[in-house]
Amino acid sequence: MVTQNKRLFGGLLLWYVLLSLWTAYEPADRQFWLLSSLLPGLLVLVLVGTHRLLTFSPLSYILITTFLTLHTIGVHYTYAQVPAGVWLEQAMPFGRNQYDRIVHFCFGFLLTYPIEELFRLTVPLRGWLLYYLPVMTVLGLSGLWEIIESWVAQMVHPELGMTYLGSQGDVWDAQKDMAAAMYGALLCMGLLLWYRRSRGTDVSRSVAESMH
Amino acid sequence: MKRTTLLHALLLWYGLLWTVLAIAPRDRQDWLLENLLALSAVATLAATYRRFQFSTLSYVLITVFLSLHAVGAHYTYAEVPFGFWLRDAFGLSRNPFDRLVHFAYGLLLAYPLRELLVRLAGIESFWSYYLPISGMLAQSGFFEIVEAVVAQIVSPELGTAYLGTQGDEWDAQKDMVAALSGALLCMTAVLIATATSSRSRAVPLQRPTSRRA
Repeated sequence: MVTQNKRLFGGLLLWYVLLSLWTAYEPADRQFWLLSSLLPGLLVLVLVGTHRLLTFSPLSYILITTFLTLHTIGVHYTYAQVPAGVWLEQAMPFGRNQYDRIVHFCFGFLLTYPIEELFRLTVPLRGWLLYYLPVMTVLGLSGLWEIIESWVAQMVHPELGMTYLGSQGDVWDAQKDMAAAMYGALLCMGLLLWYRRSRGTDVSRSVAESMH
Repeated sequence: MKRTTLLHALLLWYGLLWTVLAIAPRDRQDWLLENLLALSAVATLAATYRRFQFSTLSYVLITVFLSLHAVGAHYTYAEVPFGFWLRDAFGLSRNPFDRLVHFAYGLLLAYPLRELLVRLAGIESFWSYYLPISGMLAQSGFFEIVEAVVAQIVSPELGTAYLGTQGDEWDAQKDMVAALSGALLCMTAVLIATATSSRSRAVPLQRPTSRRA
């Protein structure tokens, strides 16, 4: 089991590195690619560095890799021009390329479980907080991302203002992106709670009752 | 001063201030919208008082924040006289009162949130500093989402008054930065206080002495 987990970790890492190399070759916008690859690269380094100290479940590693894959593709084409999003726009008249919104949703949906696991591994969390704090953390990170995005836009292309990067000229873009991440996180925690309740492994209710 | 006396004084202060500011707000509908969250917060605090009592310091901080918000709601944030004075004194292009209250939100409420997390969930060390900051940022983001939804539902004119963007496309991000900075400052202060005071290690964990008022 341990070696299996290790093999999976190595395989996922190899996949991410190969994908990064492929997308690093002639990205649509080199500057955007560089800026947007910093944080994911840092995350991967931290995960590799702390792999022995803090080993996540295979499911978490798969979820993280899936998210990073979606992000890497978005960065390669720049989010507003991802072919899958263009196709989606033609299939359904959204009036904009929805790929970035989908990835914001996936940020919440895919990364909330690893965060929940991080809490379980590092803090003795009790009760409803075990489900509430991961959602809160994702929303906080999503807000931080929007803040950084606005700084980058103002620094790199002050004349373009909001039209630069993902907003595609929508004044409510930041709010919609954060809402998408929040819905993803809520759905993820809802599914987890439902799964644990159905298997009788949810501890939040019994602990919450014992607190009073 | 006894804890209960101080808490009664805080309640009296907020009750009086709120009543005075409720008499003739600049825009009744905007005032109502702004007060929905504030009043539910007060109601929640009152309802859970027997089950969960914050420290006296937390109640003071919460009251200061609610007072600032009551003032903002009375004048509508973009038109608070103190904000105009600040604008003229510092040569700003807009009334900064709402930005200031966003900052105060992070600065004043990160400590009560930390207390809640530490005492309710037993969170310690790194997480007890990270999670309050993350929580304030998340709530700030959530507030921006709610604001956006409300602004799109209600009439456009009121929308701008309530939203307080004052025509800035980065308003939401700047508001969140203000809350984030406030929370960072607050947690830094708590960290320093914890590191310098010998007995303070127990302070955030301590339950208030009087359990029943």
